[in-house]
Amino acid sequence: MDFTPLFEQYPFFREAATAFVVIFVDICALVILLAAGRERRRGDRGWAQESRGYMLACEGTVYPLGAAEILIGRHPSADIRFSDTEVSRFHALLCLSNGKWQIEDIGAQNGVLVNGRRISKPCTLHQNDAIQIGKHRMTVIKGTGKGVVS
Amino acid sequence: MTKTKPISHPFLLLLVLIAHAAMMLLVILSFGITPEVIKLACIVLTADFVGSIILQIVQREACTVDTVLLLVIGMSTIYQSCFGGLEFATKHFIFSVGAFLMCQASYLVTRNPYRAERLKPLWYFMFFALVAAIRFLTGSRSMWIDLGFITIQPSEFVKPVFVLICASSIRTQLKKSEYLGIHFVPDNLLLIFCTAVIAVLQWWCRDLGSLPTFLAVAGLAVMLRFCYLREKISVRLIVFLGLCVVAAGVFAWKLAPAYVQERLHSDIWSDMSGTGYQQVKALTAIAEGGWFGKGAGNGSLIHVAASRTDIVFSTICEEWGLFTGMMTVILVLFLPASILTVPPRSYYHSGLAVGVAAVFMVQMTLNIFGSCNLIPFTGVTIPFISQGGSSMLASGILAGFLKAAQAPVLTGRRTEKGES
Amino acid sequence: MAERQKLQRPPRPVLDISAPRSMRRAGKWTALILTAFIAALIYLGYTLITESSFYMAKSGSTTYGIVCDRTGDVLFDGSQPLTNYPAGQFADVGNLIGDTSGQMSNTVVAKHLSELANYSFTYGNQAGKAKVETTLSHSANRAVFNAFGEKNGAAVAYNWRTGEMLVCVSRPCVDIAQGYANLDSMPSGSLLCKAFFPTVPGSTQKVSTLLAAYEAAGVDTVNALQFDCTGKWVNAGGDTINCHQAYGHGTQDLVHAFANSCNPYFAQLVQSGIAPLSSIIGTYTRMGYAVNGEKADTLSLDGITIQPASTKLSDANNFETQWGALGQGKTLVSPYQLMLWQGAIANGSGSAVQPYLIRSYTSPTGEVTEAPAHGATPQFFTAAAAQGVKDVETQNATDHYYISFDGYSCGCKSGTAQVNDDGREYENSLLAGFCLDDRAPVAFCILIEERQSWEISTAQIARVLLNAVSGIS
Repeated sequence: MDFTPLFEQYPFFREAATAFVVIFVDICALVILLAAGRERRRGDRGWAQESRGYMLACEGTVYPLGAAEILIGRHPSADIRFSDTEVSRFHALLCLSNGKWQIEDIGAQNGVLVNGRRISKPCTLHQNDAIQIGKHRMTVIKGTGKGVVS
Repeated sequence: MTKTKPISHPFLLLLVLIAHAAMMLLVILSFGITPEVIKLACIVLTADFVGSIILQIVQREACTVDTVLLLVIGMSTIYQSCFGGLEFATKHFIFSVGAFLMCQASYLVTRNPYRAERLKPLWYFMFFALVAAIRFLTGSRSMWIDLGFITIQPSEFVKPVFVLICASSIRTQLKKSEYLGIHFVPDNLLLIFCTAVIAVLQWWCRDLGSLPTFLAVAGLAVMLRFCYLREKISVRLIVFLGLCVVAAGVFAWKLAPAYVQERLHSDIWSDMSGTGYQQVKALTAIAEGGWFGKGAGNGSLIHVAASRTDIVFSTICEEWGLFTGMMTVILVLFLPASILTVPPRSYYHSGLAVGVAAVFMVQMTLNIFGSCNLIPFTGVTIPFISQGGSSMLASGILAGFLKAAQAPVLTGRRTEKGES
Repeated sequence: MAERQKLQRPPRPVLDISAPRSMRRAGKWTALILTAFIAALIYLGYTLITESSFYMAKSGSTTYGIVCDRTGDVLFDGSQPLTNYPAGQFADVGNLIGDTSGQMSNTVVAKHLSELANYSFTYGNQAGKAKVETTLSHSANRAVFNAFGEKNGAAVAYNWRTGEMLVCVSRPCVDIAQGYANLDSMPSGSLLCKAFFPTVPGSTQKVSTLLAAYEAAGVDTVNALQFDCTGKWVNAGGDTINCHQAYGHGTQDLVHAFANSCNPYFAQLVQSGIAPLSSIIGTYTRMGYAVNGEKADTLSLDGITIQPASTKLSDANNFETQWGALGQGKTLVSPYQLMLWQGAIANGSGSAVQPYLIRSYTSPTGEVTEAPAHGATPQFFTAAAAQGVKDVETQNATDHYYISFDGYSCGCKSGTAQVNDDGREYENSLLAGFCLDDRAPVAFCILIEERQSWEISTAQIARVLLNAVSGIS
């Protein structure tokens, strides 16, 4: 089957066909892009499971644990930041590994206290554990929703 | 436990199938129904089908990357098969499949950011091994290793390895050493060293085409590392850094060797049969193609050297039209753009994602804008679109990093399933 | 019940898993690069679409449209072989309009290839209505061209009120309808438009010197000046400046010296210091001369480039300087620029209406775009100086050219240029002037190369020109 004579007779037809296909493929691409928005929800769910839904509650504020490594300190780049001098610039590092959240002292002057004990090596966190950084007391809590195992 | 519904996944893969089918329709309109057309249609659509089934069975993570990858490599196979007449681009297709597999493989290696970073000594080793290979195995200052039956371009594989080196986690940045009272981060020092090595190597090879890619990756890596240590980048600092970059650019411009100078200053329209030949042909081809092209297989740019690689954008535009050419480019952009939808969850992955974005973006910029005479013309490839095995496989590896950033595995989920 | 539950267990907060700022930074950088890339891509698309005609034209992948004169008469036709036209059809404007052969680069066709390309991005090569309409009058050009007879030279004229270029003739001329088969045997100068090339201006330069003097000392002071001419005059440097009148003109005022084109008078004017050399240089520079090797702006006529005038003025007592101010030696001016200054004199303002050549562009699909308004040139000299020179030139024309310009109200200055062309010495005849009549409000410059006294004069050609452009609108 050969369409060449047809196109020679009606050059517009090929233009139209090309335009149609191109726009169609474009729409497909657009739909894929829109579907990527759903990907975000999937990613969120995945992370919610991965991170076990833990968050840090501290003096009325809730800090999300949205990454595998969370830096706590006085330094401006810290994810959880306290500005008083009792907190070292790089104080503690929260780290998610093997489904466990661990807290680690990364050279804090005043140390990191978990459930009242100063830690010297990475310490695994559980729900309702109390963490003390300087004068700030934090509690490990579990959030609801987003497909978290309750 | 609420089940994670892979809602859009099969639907998206169906869309890919439909998009390819629509493109095949256009090929049929150009060539009629011939055995070669049927062969192309069968292979591309079967590949889509098999690919989607594999993805359904093996894992359902990061469907954006996989879907776009399937879409793009299918499209590029159709493009490459139709240039200047229909002939199934077997080699291109094989490497496309290779790229897809490479993507999955590199995902498996890098999906755990901790493990990927623990393997950093290996990445350094691979980097220096590749550099040594380029220095000692390539013939007469070219970037190619000729193995007789196949030629490998090791510099393409340096790119993913370099991206792996450039990414870094906060933990690495906190490991400081001291020497003669100066505190420094060993990893940062190594990064600077590697950048210098690759720059010197490129200079030695008289092939500065890939240098902007490496510099962009290294520059963004430094930028990100800088951000770890300083939260805010002030306007003054950005202006200062911008001025530094401009000064370095001007410096490089002035000091560039004669063969580079020639490229920087040549006016393609005054030497249409000499140095400007490819670009003149490329631009004319785009103009002849117009909005919707001359039709698949009707182009004449195929007779110009590098029509499948360096000026592939023009070749696509000539046969399929500027509209399709632009759309293809934007489709490839979806890959690095995927981290805008699902943010990376670890420092190492975010570094990888930014590195991959830099590689893809700079390569495409150099290729497309170079062939269209907006910037000096260099011989780099468009990821997944240009012909070339090494580049294809390296791009596949890079796409795997993006997938890893999309669906990180901290080895926890599977073991924790039964818990609580 | 609710209260009890509240006591037992505080409500669990909703899970927040938003990525910390440090992670979002990666996204920000990526978004930044992406945005920059997409912006560049849009720019690329825009460039490709707007410049596609240029690509097609430059690479010769399309046909070309026509260039026509103000009445629609064809001056160049790219849609068919030019040999289809009779020989000599385009001879009068050949090296102004040019063709697509690439032999000439400073022509209307060469500079407007994209506009002439019968191509549009949307319709491709099918569309074929591209046209460039010029302000020229083909009939007037042909009349002037023929008036030259066998002589070589150039004639250029424009409407000093509207800026329309009417005549631009250059001889010898290539006949684009004949092609370039006999390229080697073509006389030199066939492939360029002499109107745009600087040449020795001869005494037409005295207009510039007079303008400078008027600006420096005032019209009345300069008009009252009297100098003596005995045929020879020895300057402060000990060099002799000869007058073309071997026995001299005697004591004369400016109007007579201007009419007589008396070299000693103007040399004494320069040396006298009434117009200090610095102010002469100032006036010259404003007029567009490249004085003493300084860079002057290149003039442009709808993309066609015109080399600026140049001269060397070092010391008012120096022979070379005086000789230069008289329009000989190192001084070079293009006929186009001489015409331009006449335009600024004719309107009495010291600033000319910017000449233009292209009236409208017709796209391949038939849409007509009028050329944008052109405005005025920079202020070359003061209005008072312009008015002063206008009076002197008008007086000159009335007294000495009443036969040639009978019936026209004109002003002009003639000149004889002593050219040393690689050792071959000859004299060119020039005439720069203007007509104030409503039927032919033109400023013009005529150049006849190697003219002998019995041959056609510049004034006669000017008369032909005025007759030819009279009444065209």
